[in-house]
Amino acid sequence: MLQPFFDWLGALPVSQFIGASIWIYPLVQAIHLVFLALLAGSILIVDLRLLGFGLRSQSLAQVARDARPWFTAGIIGMVCTGLPQLMQNASREYFSEFFWYKMYLIAFGLIFTFTIRRKMTEASETSLAGRLVGLVSILVWGGVAVNARLIGLFT
Amino acid sequence: MADLVMPLRALFEWVSEFPSSIAIRESLYFSPYLTVAHVVSMCLFAGLIVMMDLRLLGIGNMRTPFSEVQRRLFPWQMLGMALSSVTGLTLAFADPMRFFVNIFFWTKMLVMVLAGINALAFHFITYNSVVRWDSSATTPFGARLSGGLSIVMWAVVIVAGRLIPYNWFQR
Repeated sequence: MLQPFFDWLGALPVSQFIGASIWIYPLVQAIHLVFLALLAGSILIVDLRLLGFGLRSQSLAQVARDARPWFTAGIIGMVCTGLPQLMQNASREYFSEFFWYKMYLIAFGLIFTFTIRRKMTEASETSLAGRLVGLVSILVWGGVAVNARLIGLFT
Repeated sequence: MADLVMPLRALFEWVSEFPSSIAIRESLYFSPYLTVAHVVSMCLFAGLIVMMDLRLLGIGNMRTPFSEVQRRLFPWQMLGMALSSVTGLTLAFADPMRFFVNIFFWTKMLVMVLAGINALAFHFITYNSVVRWDSSATTPFGARLSGGLSIVMWAVVIVAGRLIPYNWFQR
């Protein structure tokens, strides 16, 4: 259904330009990983607290509020460095199962983070439900990273 | 320089002949899955290092005293470092000669050493005065310098690591 869109994306002059350069794509890939570290840190610092580890002497709500701007910055950085990679490879990634697993997990992860996890981190202390939310968050975002790496290895 | 490079080359060549090294090298899936595990453990290590560095810079996690961030995150950072090291060393073990001739691999190794020196210097110098700035709104120059250097150096490590497959400078 979306294939015409992916073909159009890949045929754009700017996509062709990225594809024609030997430097741009690898460097964008590398910077994508730097933003991955920032994003992962902003997620883990809260998830560890939800699980009852990490910054335990601070209230859960305080840890979560501190992490929020860095999560946003991480997501923006990931999109800005992820999109050019998709553009120069669009028609091939359309047929990669790992690409779609990654997209579904990101969609679920974002909704989960801004609804259930957000609600859970407004409390001052974690609960059994909070621990479960922390675990789900780590597994979902970990799944995003794993599938993302597999796109490059098996596409 | 040649005195240093030749024994190193001999070591890498020796390791590359190990039956276990050859077995991993010739396996279709071992190295790709190791790469995946390396990236995930990097997230644990570098992610929590960055969170601590932002606190040192005075721009992140400011609701928590620095000593608390350092003490509570340290075991998780070390777990991340251990997993990254095991997966990374196994990757190098499986194909030593590929890495030996790669400029990005050696850049990564060098900058990792520098990042380690930066962390030790912070620990033995600036961290001694932590009680004076643990919960204050701004951090001292030494803390900001170490935090900034750490972010930059670990970013270079990540970038160099990702560029290893692109052997632009190899003959």
